[in-house]
Amino acid sequence: MVEELLIKNGVVYDPINGVKGEKKDICIRNGKIVEEVKNPKVIDAGGRVVMPGGVDIHAHIAGGKVNSGRLFRPEDGRKGLKAKTKLCRPESGYSVPNTFAVGYRYARMGYTFVMEPAMPPLAARHTHEELVDIPILDNAALPLIDNNWMTLEYVKSGDIDLLAAYIAWIIKATKGYGVKVVNPGGTEAWAWAKNCDLNDAVPYFDVTPADIVKGLAEANERFEMPHSIHVHGNMLGHPGNYEVTLKTYDLVKGITPYRDRPVLHSTHTQFFSYGGTTWRDFESKARAIADYVNANEHVSIDLGSVILGDTTTMTADGPMEYSLYQITGRKWTNHDVELETGSGITPFMYSGKVGVHTIQWAIGLELALLTRDPWKIALTSDHPNAGPFIGYPILISMLMSKKRRDESAEEMHSSIFDRTELPSIDREYDFYEIAIITRAMTARTLGLHEHGKGHLGVGADGDVAIYDISPEERDAGKIQKAFLNAKYTIKGGEIVVKDGEVVSTPEGRTFFVTPECDPKLTDEMMTKLKEMFTNYYSVSFANYPVQDAYVPNPYEIRAPWRS
Amino acid sequence: MEELKMQTIRLRLKEEVMSGVAKIPVIVDALTPDKLFGKSEAEIKGVKIWWGNREENTGDLFEVSVEGDATSEAEVKIVMDGDLSRVKYIGAGMKAGEIEANGDVDMHCGAMMRGGKITVRGNADCWAGCEMHGGELIIEGDAGANLCAMYRGEMTGMTGGRVVVGGNVSECAGQYMAGGEILIKGNADILAGLNMKGGKITIEGDAIMPGADMTGGEILVKGKVEDMIPSFKFVETTTVDGEQYRKYIGDLAMTEKRAKGILYVK
Repeated sequence: MVEELLIKNGVVYDPINGVKGEKKDICIRNGKIVEEVKNPKVIDAGGRVVMPGGVDIHAHIAGGKVNSGRLFRPEDGRKGLKAKTKLCRPESGYSVPNTFAVGYRYARMGYTFVMEPAMPPLAARHTHEELVDIPILDNAALPLIDNNWMTLEYVKSGDIDLLAAYIAWIIKATKGYGVKVVNPGGTEAWAWAKNCDLNDAVPYFDVTPADIVKGLAEANERFEMPHSIHVHGNMLGHPGNYEVTLKTYDLVKGITPYRDRPVLHSTHTQFFSYGGTTWRDFESKARAIADYVNANEHVSIDLGSVILGDTTTMTADGPMEYSLYQITGRKWTNHDVELETGSGITPFMYSGKVGVHTIQWAIGLELALLTRDPWKIALTSDHPNAGPFIGYPILISMLMSKKRRDESAEEMHSSIFDRTELPSIDREYDFYEIAIITRAMTARTLGLHEHGKGHLGVGADGDVAIYDISPEERDAGKIQKAFLNAKYTIKGGEIVVKDGEVVSTPEGRTFFVTPECDPKLTDEMMTKLKEMFTNYYSVSFANYPVQDAYVPNPYEIRAPWRS
Repeated sequence: MEELKMQTIRLRLKEEVMSGVAKIPVIVDALTPDKLFGKSEAEIKGVKIWWGNREENTGDLFEVSVEGDATSEAEVKIVMDGDLSRVKYIGAGMKAGEIEANGDVDMHCGAMMRGGKITVRGNADCWAGCEMHGGELIIEGDAGANLCAMYRGEMTGMTGGRVVVGGNVSECAGQYMAGGEILIKGNADILAGLNMKGGKITIEGDAIMPGADMTGGEILVKGKVEDMIPSFKFVETTTVDGEQYRKYIGDLAMTEKRAKGILYVK
């Protein structure tokens, strides 16, 4: 049977196709956008806002770290409890929701794709098991490649082609999507109880984080990779780190991307836009970062904007989590992943009454408002590090309403007036720009627009969000409410959310990339890799790669070698 | 003088609810005086409560009768009868009014309550008065573990109100307690007042290792103390309510700066 759907009378925002708030019908047949339909089921959008399904570029939703967070925060699990229904499994958790809640909550917000941005290669199976358990959402995961001993050795010897062969192998072995970098060198140094600044030597390997970033960016462009390297740089969360951030951006300036996209995606940039020398003279340097991004085309950023309240921080950046734990004195866990990476977790409370937190809160919004071109920005909270994804509607309402920002600033610590420039910024986002930073830019930056995500052109996936709000509405409260619970979310032509309630729970697909490396290079790399497995890994080479069974709904993207 | 009005809602758990091979728990946090105030008998029978993993009508599990009228939440009294040994969350989160539970009750009785009064004419299982903020909880029999403590992972237990236990209490009574008062007429098992930071616990019987890791508040033990925590510092001999006690401060294991807890031992 042919399944057809017609969405009538919607005001459509589809930035990839340049559709800017036009009254336009959307036709879906067999899960894809088509020109016209014959005998469809009709949804009358009644002049409400219609967008492609949301695409989140960076949210920690699955894997060992997330699950450890759930285990060690039972007090978070108490929040957001929702009993099972005939259709839905039970929900729990706020900053570390269970897998079911992740799927349902994103779907209610009109999202249909989420990128898990930190998959330790050795724990790839666990990550995929959780991704399978998340209902509705299409997904992908970025393996952590920057602190692996193989990477460090090839960076040291300067063999970029062999490094490329290694990243091709590890992305394939983990069914990953691209190259993730987290505190390059610093996480490895943490195994020696040290950390690394951009030009410090990594213990034993004697390479610098700068070498690693540059090497991985070059290796990544050896293939037709859909996404650039995805970088969480050095010195995250340290006062004065904005200079390190800008130097990191400069490292990859000369590298030519394979297609029209940046060569470096700078993630949760709020945590990297800090001035001052200590927490006492801490201040916003969002202006410096935004100026750089405005003036250059090789960097894209996502915000990592703070959502006030209690949350759980978790990252492969082990030394950073330790510093944070020393500040708060709350509980902390630390984990080492053999010769690959590490991680840490600690709870954190962002309070609008605390000067530093207030400045952090302002920086995320400043980055969005000072960067002129929304095509360079993605809306994220680095879920759950700067706050849980369920707070996105709050961020959207802040960006769309100067009035709301001013009202919030009045109630927050006075540092917002003398250490940030947020109160003086008048810019307000419109629905078109919101559609860019929540779906179009993210899909394009991930290269997913060529695979049906983030737009409503003919051939795209039938992923549509209808928000119960008029395009003229400027009331922040109403905007927040509308984006929290979509009137309709349609995924692959199927209505999954109606009036803010989940009405169907199809399985999501996992997108993964297959980089195709020159066989001679692969052979050469393999000799060293097998030696590494024999000498150091706790698992054997043959047992390492993730089997096809772990990705029951696969979507493969091939990335040919650029000879 | 103005006549005090009073409404009594009688809830008797039907025998067949607990007559299965396994007793399936009933969760009654929806049945508090403040939530039932203003409801007719028929409406109360229609209130949804959980029985195991099924949502049921109160009237299907309890015999319900209502006498008198109330003009405020405070004038509502709920009397619960029948086999309450698997009835959980009695009076949890209640704000006003009174509950009388005739018999032994299951876990979480009076948890998170803010006001009003609960009287248990029997024993209460674990987590009674957990994270309680106000009101009064009287347990005539014994109380289970974690009385007036915090739920797992939280850093604050009871913050206010008054709790009286007629019998003994099990482990970790008043863990992370920050305010309010607990009076235990019997003995307290291991680690009463663990991580306590405020409020007062009086133990009329004996106690084992009271006050470990405490940083504030006060514990007074009238009976004997077994396995006294060694990281408490003797201050002076003093008189409380006409009786002599040795006064200690601690727990120094939490660093000298934070050791602001007071422990009175005979």
